[in-house]
Amino acid sequence: MNNGFWSMGGYARYVWPCFAGALVVLAWNVWSARRYHSRALMRAARAAIMAGDRS
Amino acid sequence: MWNWFYKLASPPYVYRLAAVLAPWLLGGAALCIGYGLVDGLVFAPPDYQQGDAFRIIYVHAPSAWLSLSAYTLMAVAGGIGLIWRIKIGHAVAAAAAPIGASFTVLALLTGSLWGRPMWGTYWAWDPRLTSELILLFLYVGVMSLRSAFEDPGRGDRAAALLAIVGVINVPIIHYSVQWWNSLHQGATVAKFARPSMPGSMLWPLLSMLLGFMLFFGGVLCLRLRGEVLNRERQSSWVREVVRAS
Amino acid sequence: MNVGAWQVLSLMLRREMCLYFRRPDQLLQPLVFFLIVTALFPLGLSPQLSLLRDMAPAVLWVAALLSALLSLEGLFKGDAEDGTLEQLALCGQPLGLIVAAKTLSHWLVSGAALVIMSPLVAVALGIPREAFPAMLLSLGLGTLTLSWLGAIGAGLTVGLRRGSVLLSLIVLPLAMPLLIFGAGATDRAISGASAAGPLYFLAALCVLTSTLAPFAATAALRITLE
Repeated sequence: MNNGFWSMGGYARYVWPCFAGALVVLAWNVWSARRYHSRALMRAARAAIMAGDRS
Repeated sequence: MWNWFYKLASPPYVYRLAAVLAPWLLGGAALCIGYGLVDGLVFAPPDYQQGDAFRIIYVHAPSAWLSLSAYTLMAVAGGIGLIWRIKIGHAVAAAAAPIGASFTVLALLTGSLWGRPMWGTYWAWDPRLTSELILLFLYVGVMSLRSAFEDPGRGDRAAALLAIVGVINVPIIHYSVQWWNSLHQGATVAKFARPSMPGSMLWPLLSMLLGFMLFFGGVLCLRLRGEVLNRERQSSWVREVVRAS
Repeated sequence: MNVGAWQVLSLMLRREMCLYFRRPDQLLQPLVFFLIVTALFPLGLSPQLSLLRDMAPAVLWVAALLSALLSLEGLFKGDAEDGTLEQLALCGQPLGLIVAAKTLSHWLVSGAALVIMSPLVAVALGIPREAFPAMLLSLGLGTLTLSWLGAIGAGLTVGLRRGSVLLSLIVLPLAMPLLIFGAGATDRAISGASAAGPLYFLAALCVLTSTLAPFAATAALRITLE
């Protein structure tokens, strides 16, 4: 784990952004899927309250 | 057997099943991707031609592969929804689209970053990258068609039809782009063609492939739960779910 | 009423052509658009014919795609807005035939008209006379295929308020193989090589879409109309 690893044989400028981009995309997918679900849950709750008011 | 199929078409069952599956799939994905990262970045030897730049394959190939299979899955799921009028099919198709599109973007990004040291330019109209770019356009078309309809059922069916037309077109696009490239550039540097790969380089790649697949499955489950809730907002079982949470 | 398939087709074709020729401005606008787009390239690039000749297949094909797309939006729109399309869907004749007739008539007024017009543009772009047969054939096959693809797109977007941009967004990626093979055929013919290969591909694509697209476009219309 020295300089040789982080410099990637001179290709660090290209290798690390790729892996960073991959991590960003993976994290975004999990985050947005969870947010999508929680928003849907909130919307369903709102719909349930509206229906409750009517009955 | 058939009973199981009937259950799969039932939204509350799928909603619960997805909740059970998601952590397992994501956990498996974390293991596979973790192993692939360590083995691929640290232990795999550098390529004799490309040096350490070849390590980009460990994210580029899985994401390119996933972008294609996600599109196919979207078309198949949409077709199931369109032909047998199974709502879950449309929900799966709607959930798969943004995930697949994000991996298409990743494949384009990594491909262009890989191209910089190999070709000396970020974008070289390489046949695979060009096909990937057109695939992104197809994703954008399907996603914007779905959201253009005010009636979600109609949007689902329209998007499913477009996805099916697109999936028939994907091999034609791929082949035509290859023909076009051979016409204009002659023999390009076949940077992705590696018929034989020593095991020390191959294992991390296979592990990453499996990890990305599992990750896709897990995220699909998470997103599918939201899609199902959105579609079934008025039904009684959603009320139960809301009350329980 | 018992009417044969050919009779339905010819009656619909006659009706469509009649409607098109009653509005000649609608007929001419895409053609003028085609001319304007091809005139933009020499103005933006250079008037040198040798330079233009390299660009000519691409210019011709991109302009043809865009101008055919321009007229595709109205393929089902007018009939959908005044309710004719629903009547046609309910009249008991197969909707696929009606869609096919509308698509063919669209090709006759856009694609075939473009083919007739293209030598004019080709001369202006410096395409040699020997390349004309391949160019005309590729344009004819390509625009027919595009009309079929466009019928699917127009069917999917007919009920939408802002459908025109979406229509291009949907149809253009699907039409990219056409551009590749069409411009490729023209390019080969200009350089004196045999254009048979790409022309066969274009013909195969044309047959493929002519058989599958009527069903897809009918399904699309049923989705958006019901």
